Amino acid sequence: MLSEIKFTLNGKRIIYQGDPLRRLLDVIREDLGFTGTKEGCSEGECGACSVIKDGRLVTSCIIPIGACNGSDILTIEGIRDTEKGECIISAFAEGGAVQCGFCIPGMVMAAYYLLENNPNPSEEEIRMGISGNICRCTGYDLIVDSIALAAKKGEELWKK
Amino acid sequence: MEEMMCYIPENLEEALAIMDEKDAIALAGGSDLMVSGANGTGVNPSFSRPVVIISNLPELKGIKKREDGWTEIGALSTSREIAESGLVHPLVRNAASLMGAVALRNSATIGGNIANASPKGDTPQPLILLDAEVTLKSVRGERRMKVDDFILGAKKTKLEKGEIITSVLIPPSSLTHCYYRKIGMRRANAISKLTISIGAEVRDGKVVDFRASSGAAGPKVIRSHEAESILIGKTLSELTEYKEEFLDAWNNAISPRAMPEYRRGTTRRMLSFFIDALSAGVQEGIIE
Ligand SMILES: Cc1cc2nc3c(=O)[nH]c(=O)nc-3n(C[C@H](O)[C@H](O)[C@H](O)COP(=O)(O)OP(=O)(O)OC[C@H]3O[C@@H](n4cnc5c(N)ncnc54)[C@H](O)[C@@H]3O)c2cc1C
Ligand code: FES
Ligand code: FES
Repeated sequence: MLSEIKFTLNGKRIIYQGDPLRRLLDVIREDLGFTGTKEGCSEGECGACSVIKDGRLVTSCIIPIGACNGSDILTIEGIRDTEKGECIISAFAEGGAVQCGFCIPGMVMAAYYLLENNPNPSEEEIRMGISGNICRCTGYDLIVDSIALAAKKGEELWKK
Repeated sequence: MEEMMCYIPENLEEALAIMDEKDAIALAGGSDLMVSGANGTGVNPSFSRPVVIISNLPELKGIKKREDGWTEIGALSTSREIAESGLVHPLVRNAASLMGAVALRNSATIGGNIANASPKGDTPQPLILLDAEVTLKSVRGERRMKVDDFILGAKKTKLEKGEIITSVLIPPSSLTHCYYRKIGMRRANAISKLTISIGAEVRDGKVVDFRASSGAAGPKVIRSHEAESILIGKTLSELTEYKEEFLDAWNNAISPRAMPEYRRGTTRRMLSFFIDALSAGVQEGIIE
């Protein structure tokens, strides 16, 4: 039986010893202070809390930390300064995808996961890729265009 | 951790022992439980019974083809893994690929989808059409039964104290024609209003097997062997003659309060479309 949970967050080793049912989202934001990951609906429906767990996009509000032993977790802070992260974020800025910004960390994580798995997505594939992320400001079109831009600008980057 | 209400076993044996000892509930992906047990920001979810986190048990992972031709899907397989697996029947892959949105499909497990027994759950419907079974394990041993028998109704199953679904087993299928629809999805992450799977096996112009199942409409997936038997054994040219009788029998199998009239109409049209396509000699495969 495990008595502590070992995982990495943005490459840093963490040992967690509290209640295994605590939400991954609360561990990230409250315990570890990485507040780039947002909380919207708290029910897995809006994508604001999206992170990458072992290479897979997940919503951290519906995952208990007890399911994360041995996991590698990436948040917006962990990709922001990488080449790929910068590529997406600058494309979002260039494409005018950001209004209030609340949904953007989740959108960037979803875009990152999409491009990692599909370097050259069609418009339809981009829309599917962010279909779990709700944006109340932009009407999505500029976000979709910006992700297409990131795919184009980063071309070689995403094929790695 | 003063009051131990949650356990993280490292293997199946440990999991079964603690499940039984504490009369616990299992947590797999958490996508149903973490919502139902939620207490808001910063406050940990809580449950009326102890919880055993089975999310990382290696024995419950992976999808493989067995020597007897059955496909064995580990209970922890996610919707994405199932949607992507060439070993899984297309009807089940389709259902899995349309669940929630990208992130949900990376969390939701097939074991959780079946054990949760929500009338809106998407995978039991094609599984019941294919006569799939679940393997259940506890400290007392192993049982195997059809998904159709395991799910008793809305949120009701035959899961016993300390039991865990370890795998889902799909028998080899010789269906030649299939059809799947999920209706009422205005956006991703929305629950189904109606789902339907239809399958037929046609050999030398004769319908040797015919099955239909519909989900999200009543307390449980609807399947009617009685209605199916009306079309089984008929030649393709006889189908038109028996179509109305079949459609009426199918409609009667739906419990009176399960579906509003317009959804019955939709179901009828989809079944009718499929039968017409068969009569017209449509090519084998998934009918679009
Ligand atoms: C945003 C969102 C969208 C959704 N969309 C859909 C959808 O489109 N279609 C759909 O069908 N569902 C949907 N769901 C519901 C849910 O994701 C699925 O039912 C999922 O398959 C549940 O699996 P899980 O592993 O996450 O379950 P958990 O929450 O871990 O468990 C669910 C239940 O099953 C039991 N359980 C889990 N695994 C086992 C096991 N191996 N043995 C015994 N008992 C077990 C648990 O004790 C619990 O009662 C959605 C949920 C959310 C939050
Ligand atoms: S806060 Fe997690 S999906 Fe909305
Ligand atoms: S920019 Fe405001 S919610 Fe998306």
